[in-house]
Amino acid sequence: MEPLTLRGSLDSLSSIAQYIMTAAATAGLDKKASYRLRLAVDEIATNIIIHGYEEANIQGDLNLRADLDDDSLTISIEDCGGAFDPFSKLALEESKLNLPMAEKPMGGLGVYLAIQGVDKFFYERFGARNRNTFVVNRHH
Amino acid sequence: MAFNATLETNNDTATITLSGELDASTAPQFKAEVEKAATQGAKRLVLMMQDLEYMASAGLRVLIFTKQKMGASADIYVVGAQEMVLDTINKTGFNQGVIIQDEYSPL
Repeated sequence: MEPLTLRGSLDSLSSIAQYIMTAAATAGLDKKASYRLRLAVDEIATNIIIHGYEEANIQGDLNLRADLDDDSLTISIEDCGGAFDPFSKLALEESKLNLPMAEKPMGGLGVYLAIQGVDKFFYERFGARNRNTFVVNRHH
Repeated sequence: MAFNATLETNNDTATITLSGELDASTAPQFKAEVEKAATQGAKRLVLMMQDLEYMASAGLRVLIFTKQKMGASADIYVVGAQEMVLDTINKTGFNQGVIIQDEYSPL
């Protein structure tokens, strides 16, 4: 699939979802794997847009890629916000899973949903850019 | 599919019917309906989710907001949620804080 560049704004979330669901259909992923991949990318994109761009007063793009080989579908999303490694928030989010709802903080569970929703998840910082990569196996 | 949230209040029960896709861009609409329900003095929130096709963690945040607005003792019913929406609710431990039903039946 052609790479896709979108403005880093919440309005872009539905276009991201369409791109991911098209890639998932091309890869022949089943309904559950497709949903989880869409959720994973949506959660990470939302974090980038809200924390990386809006709260930091930075205007930037999101660059999406979808690469298909015989074994897996790989989605990557790049941004030019400040460095943010989702793994740094994973333990905190996991510790909140069992809290009663009234005690759950408003902070998200998005990183947890993203990382456990795909077969492999990577984060890389290169230069002034972040790259989050999601890999889903085509045959389970 | 576009998101929609419709509120209907009856005595102390507020029913919000959700449809379409609930993500961070559409969650403010859901939150606004919850605020309206709380202002009207609702003690119980019934969320009709049969036609809700997608829910991100932004939707879960609105559930936390609901407990803050309506009080920790307010009952939240999640009715008819689709399999993957329910999967997210269960995985994140929110099944402990809400009443999950296939069809609405007040406890």
